[in-house]
Amino acid sequence: MIIIGENIHVIAKDVSVAIRERNATVIQGLTKEQTQSGANYIDLNVGPMKKDTEETMKWLVNCVQEATDLPLSIDTMNPVAMEAGLKFCRKRALINSASGKTDSKAQMLPLAKKYNADVVVSVMTDKGMPPEVESKIESIMETVAHANELGIPNEDIWVDPIILPVSTAGEGQNIAVGNLEFIRILQDVLPGVKSTVGLSNISNGVPAHLRPILNRTYLVMLGRNGLYSAIADPLDEELMAFMKGELSQITDLIYRTMDGEEIDLSPLPQKEVAYVKTARVLMAQSLYSDAWLEI
Amino acid sequence: MMEYKAPKEAYKGMVREVTIGKGDKTMKIGGETILPLHFFDEGSLPNPPKFALEVLDMEPTDKTQHLMEPFADVISDPIKWAKKCEGFGVDAICLMLVSTDPAEKDAPADGAAQLVKRMVGEIKKPLIVYGSGDEKKDAEVLPKVAQVCAGENLLIGPVQKENFEVVGKAILDNGHVAIAQSPLDINLLKELNVKLCKFLPPERVVIDPLSSALGYGIEYSFSLIERVKQIGVITKDSMTMMPIIANLGDECWKTKQAKENRTQGLLWEGMTALSLYLAGANILVLRHPETLKSIKETIGR
Repeated sequence: MIIIGENIHVIAKDVSVAIRERNATVIQGLTKEQTQSGANYIDLNVGPMKKDTEETMKWLVNCVQEATDLPLSIDTMNPVAMEAGLKFCRKRALINSASGKTDSKAQMLPLAKKYNADVVVSVMTDKGMPPEVESKIESIMETVAHANELGIPNEDIWVDPIILPVSTAGEGQNIAVGNLEFIRILQDVLPGVKSTVGLSNISNGVPAHLRPILNRTYLVMLGRNGLYSAIADPLDEELMAFMKGELSQITDLIYRTMDGEEIDLSPLPQKEVAYVKTARVLMAQSLYSDAWLEI
Repeated sequence: MMEYKAPKEAYKGMVREVTIGKGDKTMKIGGETILPLHFFDEGSLPNPPKFALEVLDMEPTDKTQHLMEPFADVISDPIKWAKKCEGFGVDAICLMLVSTDPAEKDAPADGAAQLVKRMVGEIKKPLIVYGSGDEKKDAEVLPKVAQVCAGENLLIGPVQKENFEVVGKAILDNGHVAIAQSPLDINLLKELNVKLCKFLPPERVVIDPLSSALGYGIEYSFSLIERVKQIGVITKDSMTMMPIIANLGDECWKTKQAKENRTQGLLWEGMTALSLYLAGANILVLRHPETLKSIKETIGR
Protein backbone atom coordinates (compact mmCIF):
# COMPACT_ATOMS: atom_id res chain seq x y z
CA MET A 1 0.00 0.00 0.00
CA ILE A 2 1.31 3.39 -1.02
CA ILE A 3 0.90 5.83 1.86
CA ILE A 4 0.57 9.50 0.97
CA GLY A 5 1.52 11.37 4.15
CA GLU A 6 -1.28 13.78 5.02
CA ASN A 7 0.32 15.87 7.73
CA ILE A 8 1.17 19.01 5.75
CA HIS A 9 -2.34 20.33 5.68
CA VAL A 10 -3.41 23.99 5.84
CA ILE A 11 -6.32 23.20 8.13
CA ALA A 12 -3.68 22.56 10.80
CA LYS A 13 -2.96 25.94 12.36
CA ASP A 14 0.81 25.43 12.73
CA VAL A 15 1.08 24.48 9.05
CA SER A 16 -0.88 27.48 7.77
CA VAL A 17 1.15 29.83 9.97
CA ALA A 18 4.41 28.19 8.87
CA ILE A 19 3.53 28.59 5.20
CA ARG A 20 2.51 32.22 5.67
CA GLU A 21 5.67 33.06 7.62
CA ARG A 22 7.91 30.90 5.42
CA ASN A 23 8.99 28.88 8.44
CA ALA A 24 11.00 26.07 6.84
CA THR A 25 11.76 24.37 10.16
CA VAL A 26 8.14 23.41 10.81
CA ILE A 27 7.47 22.23 7.25
CA GLN A 28 10.72 20.31 6.95
CA GLY A 29 10.19 18.79 10.39
CA LEU A 30 6.83 17.36 9.28
CA THR A 31 8.39 16.23 6.01
CA LYS A 32 11.23 14.35 7.71
CA GLU A 33 9.00 12.74 10.31
CA GLN A 34 6.69 11.38 7.64
CA THR A 35 9.58 10.23 5.46
CA GLN A 36 11.21 8.39 8.34
CA SER A 37 7.89 6.77 9.27
CA GLY A 38 7.68 5.11 5.90
CA ALA A 39 5.45 7.39 3.82
CA ASN A 40 5.77 6.97 0.05
CA TYR A 41 4.56 10.42 -0.94
CA ILE A 42 4.30 13.74 0.86
CA ASP A 43 0.93 15.42 0.36
CA LEU A 44 0.91 19.21 0.27
CA ASN A 45 -2.66 20.20 1.04
CA VAL A 46 -2.60 23.94 0.41
CA GLY A 47 -6.33 24.59 0.16
CA PRO A 48 -7.55 27.03 -2.50
CA MET A 49 -4.35 29.17 -2.18
CA LYS A 50 -5.73 32.31 -3.78
CA LYS A 51 -3.04 34.72 -2.53
CA ASP A 52 0.64 34.86 -3.61
CA THR A 53 0.01 31.57 -5.34
CA GLU A 54 3.14 31.33 -7.49
CA GLU A 55 5.56 32.52 -4.82
CA THR A 56 4.11 30.35 -2.07
CA MET A 57 3.97 27.17 -4.11
CA LYS A 58 7.54 27.65 -5.28
CA TRP A 59 8.75 28.16 -1.74
CA LEU A 60 6.76 25.25 -0.30
CA VAL A 61 7.66 22.68 -2.94
CA ASN A 62 11.34 23.53 -2.78
CA CYS A 63 11.31 23.62 1.00
CA VAL A 64 9.83 20.11 1.20
CA GLN A 65 12.11 18.71 -1.49
CA GLU A 66 15.15 19.88 0.45
CA ALA A 67 14.05 17.62 3.29
CA THR A 68 13.00 14.48 1.41
CA ASP A 69 13.60 12.43 -1.71
CA LEU A 70 9.98 11.33 -1.81
CA PRO A 71 7.68 12.41 -4.64
CA LEU A 72 5.02 15.00 -3.85
CA SER A 73 1.25 15.01 -4.07
CA ILE A 74 0.00 18.52 -4.73
CA ASP A 75 -3.38 18.77 -3.06
CA THR A 76 -5.54 21.69 -4.19
CA MET A 77 -8.67 22.33 -6.21
CA ASN A 78 -7.09 25.47 -7.67
CA PRO A 79 -5.51 24.66 -11.07
CA VAL A 80 -3.30 27.77 -10.88
CA ALA A 81 -1.80 26.64 -7.57
CA MET A 82 -1.51 23.12 -8.97
CA GLU A 83 0.47 24.23 -11.99
CA ALA A 84 2.64 26.51 -9.87
CA GLY A 85 3.53 23.54 -7.69
CA LEU A 86 4.04 21.05 -10.51
CA LYS A 87 6.61 23.32 -12.19
CA PHE A 88 9.02 22.80 -9.32
CA CYS A 89 8.52 19.10 -8.62
CA ARG A 90 11.73 17.17 -9.26
CA LYS A 91 10.09 13.76 -9.17
CA ARG A 92 7.00 12.56 -10.98
CA ALA A 93 4.27 14.24 -8.98
CA LEU A 94 0.70 13.31 -8.12
CA ILE A 95 -2.06 15.77 -8.97
CA ASN A 96 -4.55 15.65 -6.12
CA SER A 97 -7.14 15.98 -7.47
CA ALA A 98 -9.22 16.19 -10.61
CA SER A 99 -12.82 15.05 -11.05
CA GLY A 100 -15.61 14.70 -13.56
CA LYS A 101 -16.66 18.31 -13.07
CA THR A 102 -16.55 20.39 -16.24
CA ASP A 103 -14.02 22.87 -14.83
CA SER A 104 -11.78 20.15 -13.53
CA LYS A 105 -11.85 18.25 -16.82
CA ALA A 106 -10.93 21.43 -18.70
CA GLN A 107 -8.29 22.86 -16.38
CA MET A 108 -6.94 20.18 -14.04
CA LEU A 109 -6.78 16.97 -16.07
CA PRO A 110 -4.67 18.43 -18.92
CA LEU A 111 -1.95 19.26 -16.36
CA ALA A 112 -1.28 15.54 -15.94
CA LYS A 113 -0.28 15.33 -19.58
CA LYS A 114 1.57 18.63 -19.63
CA TYR A 115 3.70 17.85 -16.58
CA ASN A 116 3.86 14.08 -17.03
CA ALA A 117 2.25 13.53 -13.64
CA ASP A 118 -0.03 10.96 -12.09
CA VAL A 119 -3.49 12.24 -11.28
CA VAL A 120 -6.13 11.47 -8.68
CA VAL A 121 -9.55 11.46 -10.32
CA SER A 122 -12.58 11.44 -8.05
CA VAL A 123 -16.07 10.22 -8.85
CA MET A 124 -17.49 13.71 -8.35
CA THR A 125 -19.39 15.27 -11.27
CA ASP A 126 -21.26 18.51 -11.94
CA LYS A 127 -24.26 16.87 -10.31
CA GLY A 128 -22.29 16.27 -7.13
CA MET A 129 -21.48 12.99 -5.54
CA PRO A 130 -23.05 9.96 -7.23
CA PRO A 131 -25.05 8.20 -4.51
CA GLU A 132 -24.72 4.52 -5.41
CA VAL A 133 -21.85 2.22 -6.34
CA GLU A 134 -23.30 1.84 -9.85
CA SER A 135 -23.54 5.58 -10.45
CA LYS A 136 -20.03 6.08 -9.08
CA ILE A 137 -18.71 3.49 -11.51
CA GLU A 138 -20.65 5.09 -14.35
CA SER A 139 -19.28 8.56 -13.61
CA ILE A 140 -15.68 7.41 -13.17
CA MET A 141 -15.82 5.49 -16.45
CA GLU A 142 -16.88 8.66 -18.23
CA THR A 143 -14.16 10.76 -16.64
CA VAL A 144 -11.45 8.16 -17.24
CA ALA A 145 -12.55 7.87 -20.89
CA HIS A 146 -12.19 11.63 -21.15
CA ALA A 147 -8.71 11.46 -19.59
CA ASN A 148 -7.73 8.70 -22.04
CA GLU A 149 -8.73 10.99 -24.90
CA LEU A 150 -6.38 13.62 -23.50
CA GLY A 151 -3.61 11.03 -23.70
CA ILE A 152 -3.55 10.04 -20.04
CA PRO A 153 -3.36 6.23 -19.73
CA ASN A 154 -5.24 4.28 -17.07
CA GLU A 155 -1.96 3.52 -15.29
CA ASP A 156 -1.48 7.22 -14.48
CA ILE A 157 -4.97 7.60 -12.99
CA TRP A 158 -5.64 7.11 -9.28
CA VAL A 159 -9.38 6.74 -8.82
CA ASP A 160 -10.90 8.19 -5.62
CA PRO A 161 -14.40 6.95 -4.65
CA ILE A 162 -14.69 9.74 -1.99
CA ILE A 163 -14.87 8.48 1.57
CA LEU A 164 -17.55 10.01 3.80
CA PRO A 165 -17.92 9.81 7.58
CA VAL A 166 -19.27 6.49 8.81
CA SER A 167 -20.99 8.35 11.64
CA THR A 168 -23.33 10.27 9.35
CA ALA A 169 -26.77 9.26 10.53
CA GLY A 170 -28.63 7.11 8.09
CA GLU A 171 -26.28 6.79 5.15
CA GLY A 172 -22.72 6.83 6.50
CA GLN A 173 -22.42 3.10 7.02
CA ASN A 174 -24.00 2.17 3.70
CA ILE A 175 -21.60 4.48 1.90
CA ALA A 176 -18.66 2.89 3.74
CA VAL A 177 -19.81 -0.54 2.54
CA GLY A 178 -20.42 0.81 -0.97
CA ASN A 179 -16.89 2.16 -1.21
CA LEU A 180 -15.45 -1.21 -0.23
CA GLU A 181 -17.45 -2.74 -3.06
CA PHE A 182 -16.35 0.02 -5.44
CA ILE A 183 -12.68 -0.71 -4.77
CA ARG A 184 -13.30 -4.45 -5.10
CA ILE A 185 -14.73 -4.21 -8.62
CA LEU A 186 -12.66 -1.27 -9.90
CA GLN A 187 -10.01 -3.38 -11.69
CA ASP A 188 -12.67 -5.31 -13.59
CA VAL A 189 -14.24 -2.12 -14.82
CA LEU A 190 -11.14 -0.05 -15.54
CA PRO A 191 -8.16 -2.40 -15.86
CA GLY A 192 -4.84 -0.83 -14.94
CA VAL A 193 -6.13 2.19 -13.00
CA LYS A 194 -4.76 2.79 -9.55
CA SER A 195 -6.85 3.92 -6.62
CA THR A 196 -6.65 6.14 -3.56
CA VAL A 197 -8.81 7.44 -0.71
CA GLY A 198 -8.75 10.29 1.80
CA LEU A 199 -8.78 7.78 4.64
CA SER A 200 -9.31 9.96 7.69
CA ASN A 201 -12.62 11.21 6.36
CA ILE A 202 -14.16 7.88 7.42
CA SER A 203 -13.80 9.01 11.05
CA ASN A 204 -14.63 12.68 10.63
CA GLY A 205 -17.01 13.82 13.38
CA VAL A 206 -16.07 10.91 15.65
CA PRO A 207 -14.51 11.70 19.08
CA ALA A 208 -10.75 12.21 18.49
CA HIS A 209 -9.54 9.28 20.59
CA LEU A 210 -11.74 6.86 18.62
CA ARG A 211 -10.65 7.98 15.16
CA PRO A 212 -7.43 5.94 14.72
CA ILE A 213 -9.07 2.53 15.12
CA LEU A 214 -11.71 3.38 12.52
CA ASN A 215 -9.03 4.63 10.10
CA ARG A 216 -6.82 1.57 10.57
CA THR A 217 -9.60 -0.98 10.31
CA TYR A 218 -11.06 0.62 7.21
CA LEU A 219 -7.65 0.77 5.54
CA VAL A 220 -7.10 -2.94 6.20
CA MET A 221 -10.53 -3.65 4.69
CA LEU A 222 -9.93 -1.45 1.65
CA GLY A 223 -6.47 -2.98 1.23
CA ARG A 224 -7.93 -6.46 1.11
CA ASN A 225 -10.23 -5.31 -1.70
CA GLY A 226 -7.31 -4.02 -3.74
CA LEU A 227 -6.86 -0.39 -2.75
CA TYR A 228 -3.56 0.88 -4.19
CA SER A 229 -2.89 3.90 -1.98
CA ALA A 230 -4.29 6.11 0.75
CA ILE A 231 -3.82 9.64 1.98
CA ALA A 232 -3.25 8.85 5.63
CA ASP A 233 -1.20 9.54 8.73
CA PRO A 234 2.15 7.73 8.50
CA LEU A 235 2.92 8.78 12.07
CA ASP A 236 0.24 6.33 13.25
CA GLU A 237 2.58 3.45 14.08
CA GLU A 238 -0.16 0.86 14.37
CA LEU A 239 -1.55 1.83 10.98
CA MET A 240 1.88 1.46 9.43
CA ALA A 241 2.36 -1.87 11.24
CA PHE A 242 -0.81 -3.18 9.57
CA MET A 243 0.51 -2.06 6.21
CA LYS A 244 3.76 -3.92 6.80
CA GLY A 245 1.77 -7.05 7.57
CA GLU A 246 2.91 -7.12 11.18
CA LEU A 247 -0.52 -7.51 12.78
CA SER A 248 -1.60 -10.54 10.82
CA GLN A 249 -3.81 -12.01 13.54
CA ILE A 250 -5.95 -8.89 13.80
CA THR A 251 -5.95 -8.53 10.04
CA ASP A 252 -7.31 -12.06 9.81
CA LEU A 253 -10.07 -11.24 12.33
CA ILE A 254 -11.02 -8.18 10.27
CA TYR A 255 -11.15 -10.28 7.09
CA ARG A 256 -13.34 -12.91 8.74
CA THR A 257 -15.70 -10.20 9.97
CA MET A 258 -15.89 -8.87 6.41
CA ASP A 259 -16.88 -12.37 5.30
CA GLY A 260 -19.82 -12.29 7.70
CA GLU A 261 -18.41 -14.77 10.19
CA GLU A 262 -19.86 -14.46 13.72
CA ILE A 263 -16.64 -14.34 15.67
CA ASP A 264 -16.81 -15.39 19.30
CA LEU A 265 -15.40 -12.42 21.17
CA SER A 266 -15.17 -14.01 24.61
CA PRO A 267 -11.70 -15.60 24.31
CA LEU A 268 -10.18 -12.61 22.50
CA PRO A 269 -7.96 -9.94 24.07
CA GLN A 270 -9.48 -6.46 24.38
CA LYS A 271 -7.61 -5.03 21.44
CA GLU A 272 -8.74 -7.78 19.08
CA VAL A 273 -12.32 -7.37 20.30
CA ALA A 274 -12.17 -3.65 19.52
CA TYR A 275 -11.03 -4.33 15.96
CA VAL A 276 -13.77 -6.89 15.33
CA LYS A 277 -16.41 -4.48 16.67
CA THR A 278 -15.03 -1.74 14.47
CA ALA A 279 -15.08 -3.97 11.39
CA ARG A 280 -18.71 -4.89 12.16
CA VAL A 281 -19.65 -1.23 12.25
CA LEU A 282 -17.79 -0.52 9.00
CA MET A 283 -19.56 -3.46 7.34
CA ALA A 284 -22.89 -2.04 8.61
CA GLN A 285 -23.51 -5.31 10.44
CA SER A 286 -24.27 -3.28 13.53
CA LEU A 287 -25.73 0.23 13.73
CA TYR A 288 -23.11 2.91 14.34
CA SER A 289 -23.00 4.98 17.50
CA ASP A 290 -20.06 6.69 19.18
CA ALA A 291 -20.38 4.00 21.86
CA TRP A 292 -19.68 1.15 19.42
CA LEU A 293 -16.73 -0.18 21.42
CA GLU A 294 -18.73 -0.15 24.67
CA ILE A 295 -21.36 -2.68 23.65
CA MET B 1 -50.76 -22.78 -13.57
CA MET B 2 -48.61 -21.77 -10.64
CA GLU B 3 -50.50 -20.68 -7.60
CA TYR B 4 -49.41 -17.33 -6.17
CA LYS B 5 -48.12 -17.52 -2.67
CA ALA B 6 -47.61 -14.27 -0.86
CA PRO B 7 -44.17 -14.05 0.74
CA LYS B 8 -44.19 -14.23 4.50
CA GLU B 9 -41.28 -12.79 6.44
CA ALA B 10 -40.13 -14.00 9.82
CA TYR B 11 -37.96 -11.68 11.89
CA LYS B 12 -35.25 -12.50 14.38
CA GLY B 13 -35.64 -9.37 16.51
CA MET B 14 -38.57 -7.84 18.35
CA VAL B 15 -39.62 -4.82 20.34
CA ARG B 16 -39.30 -5.38 24.08
CA GLU B 17 -42.51 -5.37 26.03
CA VAL B 18 -42.55 -2.64 28.64
CA THR B 19 -45.10 -2.39 31.44
CA ILE B 20 -46.04 0.97 32.87
CA GLY B 21 -47.99 1.54 36.10
CA LYS B 22 -48.85 -1.00 38.77
CA GLY B 23 -51.76 -2.92 40.21
CA ASP B 24 -54.99 -2.48 38.29
CA LYS B 25 -53.67 0.54 36.43
CA THR B 26 -51.06 -0.94 34.18
CA MET B 27 -50.43 -0.68 30.50
CA LYS B 28 -48.20 -2.74 28.25
CA ILE B 29 -46.50 -1.33 25.20
CA GLY B 30 -44.27 -2.95 22.61
CA GLY B 31 -43.76 -6.70 22.47
CA GLU B 32 -44.29 -6.96 18.71
CA THR B 33 -42.28 -9.43 16.64
CA ILE B 34 -43.26 -7.86 13.32
CA LEU B 35 -42.64 -4.55 11.63
CA PRO B 36 -45.37 -1.94 12.18
CA LEU B 37 -48.68 -3.17 10.74
CA HIS B 38 -47.05 -6.13 8.95
CA PHE B 39 -49.82 -8.44 10.11
CA PHE B 40 -49.27 -10.57 6.99
CA ASP B 41 -45.83 -11.62 8.27
CA GLU B 42 -44.95 -14.23 10.82
CA GLY B 43 -45.26 -12.86 14.33
CA SER B 44 -47.65 -10.71 16.25
CA LEU B 45 -48.43 -7.35 17.78
CA PRO B 46 -49.66 -8.25 21.26
CA ASN B 47 -50.11 -4.66 22.37
CA PRO B 48 -51.66 -2.27 19.86
CA PRO B 49 -50.37 1.32 20.11
CA LYS B 50 -51.69 3.32 23.04
CA PHE B 51 -52.88 6.90 23.32
CA ALA B 52 -52.33 9.42 26.10
CA LEU B 53 -53.58 12.97 26.53
CA GLU B 54 -51.31 15.57 28.01
CA VAL B 55 -52.01 17.67 31.07
CA LEU B 56 -49.97 20.72 32.01
CA ASP B 57 -49.03 21.41 35.62
CA MET B 58 -49.83 25.11 35.17
CA GLU B 59 -52.32 27.18 33.26
CA PRO B 60 -51.11 27.19 29.64
CA THR B 61 -49.58 30.40 28.38
CA ASP B 62 -50.98 29.60 24.96
CA LYS B 63 -54.60 30.67 25.11
CA THR B 64 -55.65 29.42 21.66
CA GLN B 65 -59.35 29.18 22.30
CA HIS B 66 -60.26 26.10 20.30
CA LEU B 67 -57.43 24.25 22.02
CA MET B 68 -58.38 25.33 25.55
CA GLU B 69 -62.12 24.94 25.13
CA PRO B 70 -62.51 21.24 26.09
CA PHE B 71 -60.66 21.89 29.35
CA ALA B 72 -61.77 25.46 30.06
CA ASP B 73 -63.32 24.50 33.41
CA VAL B 74 -60.30 22.53 34.71
CA ILE B 75 -57.40 24.42 33.19
CA SER B 76 -56.01 25.65 36.50
CA ASP B 77 -56.28 22.28 38.24
CA PRO B 78 -54.06 19.55 36.77
CA ILE B 79 -55.77 16.78 38.75
CA LYS B 80 -59.24 17.70 37.53
CA TRP B 81 -57.79 18.14 34.04
CA ALA B 82 -56.36 14.62 34.21
CA LYS B 83 -59.64 13.19 35.43
CA LYS B 84 -61.47 14.89 32.61
CA CYS B 85 -59.02 13.29 30.17
CA GLU B 86 -59.84 9.88 31.59
CA GLY B 87 -63.41 10.52 30.55
CA PHE B 88 -62.25 10.75 26.94
CA GLY B 89 -61.05 7.17 26.88
CA VAL B 90 -57.29 7.54 27.18
CA ASP B 91 -54.91 4.67 27.87
CA ALA B 92 -52.64 6.89 29.98
CA ILE B 93 -52.22 10.43 31.26
CA CYS B 94 -49.13 12.41 30.39
CA LEU B 95 -48.27 15.11 32.91
CA MET B 96 -46.00 17.88 31.64
CA LEU B 97 -44.07 19.62 34.39
CA VAL B 98 -43.71 22.82 32.37
CA SER B 99 -43.86 25.05 35.45
CA THR B 100 -40.43 23.75 36.51
CA ASP B 101 -38.84 25.18 33.37
CA PRO B 102 -36.39 27.97 34.29
CA ALA B 103 -37.82 29.85 31.30
CA GLU B 104 -41.34 29.54 32.77
CA LYS B 105 -41.89 29.66 36.55
CA ASP B 106 -38.77 27.76 37.55
CA ALA B 107 -41.02 26.00 40.09
CA PRO B 108 -39.11 23.89 42.63
CA ALA B 109 -38.69 20.13 42.34
CA ASP B 110 -40.48 19.38 45.61
CA GLY B 111 -43.80 20.90 44.62
CA ALA B 112 -43.68 19.19 41.24
CA ALA B 113 -42.99 15.82 42.84
CA GLN B 114 -45.86 16.29 45.29
CA LEU B 115 -48.24 17.06 42.43
CA VAL B 116 -47.17 13.88 40.62
CA LYS B 117 -47.74 11.89 43.79
CA ARG B 118 -51.23 13.30 44.30
CA MET B 119 -52.09 12.66 40.67
CA VAL B 120 -50.98 9.02 40.90
CA GLY B 121 -53.36 8.64 43.82
CA GLU B 122 -56.30 10.26 42.08
CA ILE B 123 -56.27 8.89 38.54
CA LYS B 124 -57.17 5.42 37.35
CA LYS B 125 -54.77 5.25 34.42
CA PRO B 126 -50.99 4.82 34.25
CA LEU B 127 -49.00 8.03 34.38
CA ILE B 128 -46.30 9.40 32.11
CA VAL B 129 -44.29 12.32 33.46
CA TYR B 130 -42.26 14.70 31.34
CA GLY B 131 -39.92 17.26 32.88
CA SER B 132 -39.41 20.62 31.20
CA GLY B 133 -36.64 19.38 28.93
CA ASP B 134 -34.13 21.70 30.57
CA GLU B 135 -31.45 19.12 31.22
CA LYS B 136 -30.07 20.80 34.33
CA LYS B 137 -33.43 21.42 35.97
CA ASP B 138 -34.67 17.98 35.01
CA ALA B 139 -31.67 16.53 36.82
CA GLU B 140 -33.21 17.96 40.02
CA VAL B 141 -36.90 17.53 39.27
CA LEU B 142 -37.06 14.04 37.79
CA PRO B 143 -35.02 12.26 40.50
CA LYS B 144 -37.27 13.92 43.07
CA VAL B 145 -40.38 12.70 41.24
CA ALA B 146 -38.85 9.23 41.06
CA GLN B 147 -38.15 9.16 44.80
CA VAL B 148 -41.46 10.57 45.98
CA CYS B 149 -43.34 8.11 43.76
CA ALA B 150 -41.06 5.14 44.44
CA GLY B 151 -42.53 1.84 43.27
CA GLU B 152 -45.25 3.37 41.10
CA ASN B 153 -43.55 2.30 37.85
CA LEU B 154 -44.13 5.63 36.14
CA LEU B 155 -42.81 6.40 32.67
CA ILE B 156 -40.41 9.29 33.31
CA GLY B 157 -38.42 11.51 31.00
CA PRO B 158 -36.85 13.03 29.10
CA VAL B 159 -33.58 11.33 30.00
CA GLN B 160 -30.96 13.04 27.88
CA LYS B 161 -27.27 12.52 27.27
CA GLU B 162 -26.47 15.42 29.60
CA ASN B 163 -28.34 13.99 32.60
CA PHE B 164 -28.79 10.26 31.99
CA GLU B 165 -26.56 9.25 34.87
CA VAL B 166 -28.42 11.05 37.63
CA VAL B 167 -31.94 10.74 36.20
CA GLY B 168 -31.43 7.15 35.03
CA LYS B 169 -30.07 6.13 38.42
CA ALA B 170 -33.11 7.57 40.24
CA ILE B 171 -35.42 5.76 37.80
CA LEU B 172 -33.56 2.51 38.44
CA ASP B 173 -33.47 2.85 42.22
CA ASN B 174 -37.14 3.76 42.53
CA GLY B 175 -38.68 1.30 40.13
CA HIS B 176 -39.74 3.37 37.14
CA VAL B 177 -39.29 3.32 33.36
CA ALA B 178 -37.11 5.83 31.47
CA ILE B 179 -37.91 7.85 28.37
CA ALA B 180 -34.56 8.12 26.58
CA GLN B 181 -34.62 11.19 24.36
CA SER B 182 -32.14 12.15 21.66
CA PRO B 183 -32.34 14.78 18.92
CA LEU B 184 -33.62 13.04 15.76
CA ASP B 185 -30.49 11.01 15.05
CA ILE B 186 -30.35 7.25 15.10
CA ASN B 187 -26.68 7.06 16.00
CA LEU B 188 -27.10 9.38 19.00
CA LEU B 189 -30.24 7.47 19.97
CA LYS B 190 -28.32 4.21 20.06
CA GLU B 191 -25.41 5.78 21.94
CA LEU B 192 -27.71 7.03 24.70
CA ASN B 193 -29.35 3.62 25.00
CA VAL B 194 -25.96 1.91 25.21
CA LYS B 195 -24.88 4.23 28.01
CA LEU B 196 -28.19 4.04 29.85
CA CYS B 197 -28.40 0.26 29.61
CA LYS B 198 -25.04 -0.16 31.28
CA PHE B 199 -26.99 0.21 34.52
CA LEU B 200 -30.68 0.22 33.59
CA PRO B 201 -32.28 -2.98 32.23
CA PRO B 202 -33.34 -2.41 28.61
CA GLU B 203 -36.88 -3.54 29.52
CA ARG B 204 -37.12 -0.27 31.40
CA VAL B 205 -36.32 2.05 28.52
CA VAL B 206 -38.70 3.68 26.02
CA ILE B 207 -37.33 5.71 23.12
CA ASP B 208 -38.41 9.29 22.42
CA PRO B 209 -36.84 10.15 19.06
CA LEU B 210 -38.47 13.63 19.10
CA SER B 211 -41.64 14.00 17.10
CA SER B 212 -41.87 16.87 14.66
CA ALA B 213 -45.24 18.12 13.44
CA LEU B 214 -46.61 17.95 9.93
CA GLY B 215 -44.88 20.62 7.87
CA TYR B 216 -42.18 21.06 10.49
CA GLY B 217 -39.99 18.05 9.84
CA ILE B 218 -42.33 15.11 10.33
CA GLU B 219 -40.41 13.30 7.57
CA TYR B 220 -37.40 13.05 9.87
CA SER B 221 -39.42 11.66 12.75
CA PHE B 222 -41.23 9.25 10.46
CA SER B 223 -38.14 7.78 8.87
CA LEU B 224 -36.30 7.65 12.18
CA ILE B 225 -39.09 5.69 13.89
CA GLU B 226 -39.31 3.44 10.85
CA ARG B 227 -35.56 2.83 10.92
CA VAL B 228 -35.42 2.14 14.67
CA LYS B 229 -38.09 -0.52 14.17
CA GLN B 230 -36.34 -2.03 11.18
CA ILE B 231 -32.99 -2.24 12.91
CA GLY B 232 -34.54 -3.68 16.05
CA VAL B 233 -36.93 -6.14 14.43
CA ILE B 234 -34.95 -7.14 11.34
CA THR B 235 -31.33 -7.04 12.54
CA LYS B 236 -32.04 -7.66 16.23
CA ASP B 237 -29.95 -4.74 17.43
CA SER B 238 -30.53 -4.96 21.16
CA MET B 239 -30.09 -1.22 21.65
CA THR B 240 -32.94 -0.22 19.34
CA MET B 241 -35.42 -2.91 20.43
CA MET B 242 -37.31 -0.56 22.75
CA PRO B 243 -40.85 0.73 22.25
CA ILE B 244 -41.25 4.30 21.00
CA ILE B 245 -43.17 7.20 22.45
CA ALA B 246 -44.31 9.92 20.05
CA ASN B 247 -44.86 13.06 22.09
CA LEU B 248 -46.49 15.16 19.40
CA GLY B 249 -49.36 17.20 20.88
CA ASP B 250 -47.36 20.22 21.90
CA GLU B 251 -45.34 20.18 18.67
CA CYS B 252 -48.55 20.31 16.64
CA TRP B 253 -50.30 22.99 18.64
CA LYS B 254 -47.24 25.24 18.46
CA THR B 255 -47.75 25.58 14.73
CA LYS B 256 -49.31 28.62 13.13
CA GLN B 257 -51.64 26.34 11.17
CA ALA B 258 -53.05 24.62 14.25
CA LYS B 259 -53.62 27.90 16.04
CA GLU B 260 -55.42 29.46 13.07
CA ASN B 261 -58.68 27.56 13.41
CA ARG B 262 -60.21 24.54 15.06
CA THR B 263 -60.64 22.23 12.08
CA GLN B 264 -57.16 22.89 10.83
CA GLY B 265 -55.71 22.35 14.30
CA LEU B 266 -57.47 19.03 14.75
CA LEU B 267 -56.41 17.86 11.33
CA TRP B 268 -52.84 18.96 11.97
CA GLU B 269 -52.58 16.97 15.14
CA GLY B 270 -54.57 14.07 13.67
CA MET B 271 -52.44 13.72 10.55
CA THR B 272 -49.24 13.98 12.55
CA ALA B 273 -50.45 11.31 14.96
CA LEU B 274 -51.67 9.01 12.20
CA SER B 275 -48.37 9.30 10.35
CA LEU B 276 -46.28 8.47 13.39
CA TYR B 277 -48.67 5.63 14.25
CA LEU B 278 -48.03 4.21 10.78
CA ALA B 279 -44.28 4.64 11.25
CA GLY B 280 -44.48 2.44 14.34
CA ALA B 281 -44.92 4.56 17.46
CA ASN B 282 -46.07 2.44 20.42
CA ILE B 283 -47.58 5.24 22.45
CA LEU B 284 -48.73 8.62 21.21
CA VAL B 285 -49.21 11.67 23.38
CA LEU B 286 -51.91 14.02 22.06
CA ARG B 287 -53.33 17.30 23.27
CA HIS B 288 -56.92 17.54 22.04
CA PRO B 289 -59.62 14.98 22.90
CA GLU B 290 -61.23 15.44 19.46
CA THR B 291 -57.99 14.29 17.85
CA LEU B 292 -58.00 11.25 20.07
CA LYS B 293 -61.54 10.46 19.02
CA SER B 294 -60.94 10.91 15.32
CA ILE B 295 -57.72 8.95 15.21
CA LYS B 296 -59.32 6.06 17.07
CA GLU B 297 -62.15 6.08 14.55
CA THR B 298 -59.66 6.23 11.68
CA ILE B 299 -57.67 3.23 12.80
CA GLY B 300 -60.85 1.43 13.76
CA ARG B 301 -60.48 0.52 17.36
